[in-house]
Amino acid sequence: MTPGVIATRAGGLWRTLPGSGRAALVVVAFLWLVSAISPLASRAASEIRLEDRLQPPSAAHPFGTDDLGRDLLARVVAATPLSLAIGLTAAVVSLVVGFVVGSVAGYFGGAADLVLSRLVEVVLCFPVLFLLLALAAFLPPSPATVILAIGLTTWPGDARFARAEVLKARDLDYTRAARAAGASTPRILLRHLLPNVLAPLLVSAAFGVAWAILAEAALSFLGVGLPAPAGSWGGILSAAPAYIEEAWWMALFPGLALFLTVSAYNLLAEGLRRASTEKTFA
Amino acid sequence: MIRYLSRRVLLAAPTLLGIVILVFLLLHLAPGSPVTAGGESSRRVSQRAAEEMRRTYGLDRPLPERFGKWLGRVARLDFGESFVDHRPVLERVREAFPYTLELNGLALLLTLGIAIPLGVAAGGRPEGPLDRASGAMLFALYSLPSFWAALLLQALFSIRLRWLPLYGVVSDSAPPGWSGLADRLAHLALPVACLTYGSLAFYARLVRASVAEARQADFVLAARARGLSRRQALWKHAFRNALLPLITVLGLVLPGLLSGSVIIERIFAWPGLGRLYFDSILSRDYPVVLALSLLGAIATLFFTFLADVAYALADPRVRDGTIE
Repeated sequence: MTPGVIATRAGGLWRTLPGSGRAALVVVAFLWLVSAISPLASRAASEIRLEDRLQPPSAAHPFGTDDLGRDLLARVVAATPLSLAIGLTAAVVSLVVGFVVGSVAGYFGGAADLVLSRLVEVVLCFPVLFLLLALAAFLPPSPATVILAIGLTTWPGDARFARAEVLKARDLDYTRAARAAGASTPRILLRHLLPNVLAPLLVSAAFGVAWAILAEAALSFLGVGLPAPAGSWGGILSAAPAYIEEAWWMALFPGLALFLTVSAYNLLAEGLRRASTEKTFA
Repeated sequence: MIRYLSRRVLLAAPTLLGIVILVFLLLHLAPGSPVTAGGESSRRVSQRAAEEMRRTYGLDRPLPERFGKWLGRVARLDFGESFVDHRPVLERVREAFPYTLELNGLALLLTLGIAIPLGVAAGGRPEGPLDRASGAMLFALYSLPSFWAALLLQALFSIRLRWLPLYGVVSDSAPPGWSGLADRLAHLALPVACLTYGSLAFYARLVRASVAEARQADFVLAARARGLSRRQALWKHAFRNALLPLITVLGLVLPGLLSGSVIIERIFAWPGLGRLYFDSILSRDYPVVLALSLLGAIATLFFTFLADVAYALADPRVRDGTIE
């Protein structure tokens, strides 16, 4: 795709998105902008001033301060890129694994489908958080572990989705034409089927990002996510229960950032879903 | 019907095998050998526990033999002893189970009790005022992280207003009888609310979508033409048709409930299965972790099978074998 094509498609996407989806897109853009300027907040986010501990929101500290006197606004801003990036990469991992498993099952059918569909079913039988906790706690703590743990527990949903889409597309004329022209199977899957099932997969991925951000926050909140100094929103929130009686702001603001982000991605996904079912874009 | 059900059982058998293999692999994913359980963060396993582990899992034997032996034990529901208190794993699971059942049973009843009428009403008039308002509200609730909501509810109802207890199952000073029941209900209120609101959107939207689709169908229009009221046509005809997808997703309700329980039971100090699982993860109590994972997954498989049976009973076409 040339930049011109991408620009045209982006314009088409904007036009077909419902109002709520456009608003969500603006919020998502804003969050990535905050990520871009977040290094400015990193010094204030880590500056410990015990004499200022547990200060309620004020002009100097709009979100208040935490148990070590760090400015909560700075901490929430500094955590933004981490939460967004982990959510995005985990969703991509999930989508890639899901697409590979789902498209192979859907394209070949028969025994491959039977085996892979059982595999999807097996993983779906486990409570997601059970698997997530086991992976996150038993593997060495690092951002990569968190990303892998989330990606490896959520792919079955994407796989089911990809399977259904590939199943619909595998006997269409363009696929048969590619096959008749002698294209190899990986080529058919990646060059012909993938672009055509991309729109619905994108919807699934946008919901996936929202879910992955929540999952990372939940893991860090429970204390088995990222190792201590790297505070994501969930990590900041994990200190809140201990001070819930005297410092409500420690719970309110990091959670608000999380809620805003998750609802923006969900709303964007919902908008994309509507736009793609109306068959006007991609 | 028999054919349909036997096909379901045949498909469930390899899934069951897969679940057992995955749990077995999970054990070997644990850092180092499960007996040495190395690493800074892990709890040191006592000599006795290590022996127990060796005996239970036969770690000196080759892998296939080990798997066979483990399978034999698991089939007899022998999950060994907990590393933490050396009591049988099954005993600890049995103790925690009623708490989780109470919490999630109430939450599920409440969820369906709100989601079904709301979904039918919203689906009866798509894009109507109720549909739009409930849609926006459910969407916000769907994106609300449960652990955050739990903290805010605690801050508001337990600390600021002092209406409800902060956490726990029952007060130390709880009187017996009716006022004791009130005390228990007060303890249940916040965790049940947190478990309910998130799944509400999912079920309400599902019911809404099926009802909205069915209300234009011939059989509903025919019911209206025969003189049934709008209400009767919606509940007796459109909603009954919407029951089918609801039954299917209810078969898969268990993993979500257990997942939600891990977080909520931790915040509200509720001694159920989710809390047991989380504590066991932190203390590297592998026998408990494996038993809960296995039991949870098998229970889910069983529930999906029950859902298939219910589906067949509810849909005559499946019962007669006209469709799969």
